[in-house]
Amino acid sequence: MAHPYHLVNILTGTKGAAEMKDAKPLAKIITKSARPLLVVGPRTLSFQLNEKLLIEYVIEIAKVGNIPICATAHTNKKFLELGVTPDTTYDVIEITNHLKDPEWKGVRGEGNHDLVVFVGFRTDLGNQALSTLKHYAPHLNTMTLCKFYYPNATFSLPNFRKDEEWKALLEGIIEGLK
Amino acid sequence: MEGKRKREKIEKIIRAEDEWEPIGHTPMPHVTDLRNWDRRLLQTYKPFYAPFCDLCCLCTYGKCDLTGTNRGACGIDISSQQARIVTLACCMGMSAHAGHAAHIIDYLIEKHGEDYPIDLGDQVNVECPNIRTVLGLKPETLGDLRKAIEYCSEQLVHIVSSTHTGQEGDPVDYESKALHISMLDHVSMEAADVAQIVGFKFPTSVADTPIVDMGWGAVDKSKPVILVVGHNPACSTEVIDYLRKEGLEDKVEVCGICCTALETTRYSDKAKIVGPLSRQLFFLRTGIADVIVSDEQCIRTDLTDEASKVGSVVIASSDKACRGLEEVSDRPTDEVVKEMVDNGKHFLILDHVKAAEVAVKAVLQLAPKRKKELIDENKAKELAQSCKECNSCEQVCPNLLPLSSAIKKVAEGDFEEFRSCFERCIGCGKCEEACPQDVPIFKLMQAVASWDTWKCRVGRGPVMDTEIRKVGAPLVLGTIPGVVAFVGCSNFPEEIDELAEIVEEFARRKYIVVLTGCSAMVIGMRKDAEGKTLYEKYPPEFDAGCIVNIGSCVSNAHITGAAMKIANIFANLPLRANYEVIADYVLNRVGACGVAWGAMSQKAASIATGCNRLGIPVVLGPHSSKYRRLYLSRKEEDDWTVMDGRKKELVDTQEPSPEHLAYVVESKERAMVTIAKFCIRKNDTPQGRQIKLNHYIDLHKRLLGALPDDLPLFVRTERDIPMFFKKEVRQYLQEKGWEPKPVLSLPTFIGTYPTKVPLDAVIK
Ligand code: SF4
Ligand code: SF4
Ligand code: SF4
Repeated sequence: MAHPYHLVNILTGTKGAAEMKDAKPLAKIITKSARPLLVVGPRTLSFQLNEKLLIEYVIEIAKVGNIPICATAHTNKKFLELGVTPDTTYDVIEITNHLKDPEWKGVRGEGNHDLVVFVGFRTDLGNQALSTLKHYAPHLNTMTLCKFYYPNATFSLPNFRKDEEWKALLEGIIEGLK
Repeated sequence: MEGKRKREKIEKIIRAEDEWEPIGHTPMPHVTDLRNWDRRLLQTYKPFYAPFCDLCCLCTYGKCDLTGTNRGACGIDISSQQARIVTLACCMGMSAHAGHAAHIIDYLIEKHGEDYPIDLGDQVNVECPNIRTVLGLKPETLGDLRKAIEYCSEQLVHIVSSTHTGQEGDPVDYESKALHISMLDHVSMEAADVAQIVGFKFPTSVADTPIVDMGWGAVDKSKPVILVVGHNPACSTEVIDYLRKEGLEDKVEVCGICCTALETTRYSDKAKIVGPLSRQLFFLRTGIADVIVSDEQCIRTDLTDEASKVGSVVIASSDKACRGLEEVSDRPTDEVVKEMVDNGKHFLILDHVKAAEVAVKAVLQLAPKRKKELIDENKAKELAQSCKECNSCEQVCPNLLPLSSAIKKVAEGDFEEFRSCFERCIGCGKCEEACPQDVPIFKLMQAVASWDTWKCRVGRGPVMDTEIRKVGAPLVLGTIPGVVAFVGCSNFPEEIDELAEIVEEFARRKYIVVLTGCSAMVIGMRKDAEGKTLYEKYPPEFDAGCIVNIGSCVSNAHITGAAMKIANIFANLPLRANYEVIADYVLNRVGACGVAWGAMSQKAASIATGCNRLGIPVVLGPHSSKYRRLYLSRKEEDDWTVMDGRKKELVDTQEPSPEHLAYVVESKERAMVTIAKFCIRKNDTPQGRQIKLNHYIDLHKRLLGALPDDLPLFVRTERDIPMFFKKEVRQYLQEKGWEPKPVLSLPTFIGTYPTKVPLDAVIK
């Protein structure tokens, strides 16, 4: 994010997400992290990409990347229907509250996560949860996989106008994680 | 430190010599008098911040970037800054109610005199539980209510001053101030509503209040139409009085939006409720209202511009919203009416009697000239043709509605998606403003809006003492699983359907369901297959399985008041200046939960925060994360030790009940599960706990597909396991390595933190 020279007088903020348009570097960030976590919101149940729901892409990502899942809102039910048992069902505020704490043991009891991937939230709530982590969780990075730019994430997708572009990127990530 | 003179002054105000109850430890508490209680609460329910903005721009040292560990030029950090903004929001919310109260009390004192008695009927003896508990005063007259507001106003000055640059520097101390002013919000609301009830003779001591018509379709457009907007009924009741006096009540339609609508129906069941806040702009733009009388709070600030566009005229009647208009109370009525009728001029008229007369005279002349043209589907289709599907509208929609594709479909003659957008629209008008093609999006809405007539029960004011006597024991034992209060605006995210569905779920499950404000309206906007609304289907008592409209925003004080009355009437605890004891009782023993699903304003912040100080947890809708602050525990990690008041020993209960005090959820499914969980209290008997867990498990299984992860935390002994799920739960507990937890007889925080209140005070 570009900053004005006279920071104090005309600043609007200093820390904004890096806009990531390509799958490769995103997959690399995920692979390089030691303990990633997928935090999955209810909009994964309504976003449809061709024949598949967004949650199905998320499941793919979790499988190929061996990433634990936090099923927020009522997503747990759909996960179970699709044969996947999430690692935890904390709601988005609860998981955010835990992630803030560097000493927290993480959803698999192996230590706090170093990369948290958010997907499928209302943008207002999602960006607020990311704000908490931006300010209070310097020990981790955040990434978003929705088709909107999230300024409070560390890495965010751009605003995709076409769903095909978004779909291609998600498929690229799955490929990159294999 | 409280000096002798100060103490004497307080004793005089609260008439200490009246011995209706012993005076507790905190009569008319000053800003820091309940600080230790707050710190104890926030030790368990820590403030959680989601900064809405990284900067502070409150003084010319800045802007200051407070990201992460950065501090402002004054030294403040991001947490204290969030708490400071929350404190300011709570001050705004509280001052709106206190301002309303001060105005209405002064207005009624002018009418009836200072000594006008407070009489809430034969079923309400504990008339003002908030004022009794906080101040230690048992108000007997309108003059006494004014004393309460004078005290609140003084406290407000101290708290607003703490938000100045270089004052408070600790987030928990700011939170304590937010909690203090929000507690006083409930005092202010109570003073306002009790004054209204006695001054205007609103219904009281009765559950079965009339059911009135609701919806823009309910407004008889063939008559002259006066629309009242806002929250303060002083002017709208004068309008009704004038119509009655002139024999015009059946000839002129009076309808309202937002709380003034609720108040006006408490005064006249001929008045109509148009709908909640979210329908304000929609209704204004239909031009159905000939004259609009505005008072205070949540009125669109572009009201006069909008009115001019459709040929309506505005009378602003409140000193808080003068809107740049000329004040004409001293000018001859006919002259003012003429200017309104001939030139479409809007005026400020602070004299309510005058305003009422002008409104009626003007409406009679304006109505015949009204050009109302509502569009139909054909016209909508035509108007939507210019849409280029550019997405500008949906990018500015706060409720994230898929407008662009919906409008494109309207152009093709398919209205379904757009209808669903309208149902969820919060009425901000941003979409139309953003459209580069000038598609009249609000006009299009006329073609998809339902012109049905809905029903709303008239607000009934305080819960009756007799009702409390009846439900006190089952509530505290847990056999009535809880009181769920749906409050505030109803806007986000799915408005009517979602709220009505949640409300009915809990009424069906035999919780006590109460509502206020716009939430109370919207649940009347859904009908079942037989055409019945929830108000017609469920009884209006404060009892298991009933649905009660308590009233307007200021009636929220009767919800906290009901919780206080349970401690007082059922458990015999004195209220008088005894806030800590009462709040401790409510937190640990009364299974109550607030829900502010569509909360929007600063008032919602102070109402919810006031509930929190009293120990009532609140569930909020997703956009409420924009309030920046929640109060959360971490159920597995935190210390859940409380005092057993009877045995006088500390007990590590290991039970996170209630789990959070202020909490945001994203979907209605999660909301329902959370509400059921938040009604669990340490005080539940095994039988009560079984009932509560039965609902929690049942909802969790149905909506989230499995038993709750945290179930082992809420089962104390085998006896808590609901019969219906016995086998399944037993097996599950075994897998999770569950072990029985200590049982205790009288859970309390008293004795676990520094306070002047002795442990014996919680036992009666
Ligand atoms: S109040 Fe403090 S943080 Fe805010 S602009 Fe002034 S110096 Fe900066
Ligand atoms: S008026 Fe309704 S549809 Fe338009 S932006 Fe506001 S909420 Fe969205
Ligand atoms: S902003 Fe206007 S032109 Fe663009 S999509 Fe919305 S209605 Fe159509």
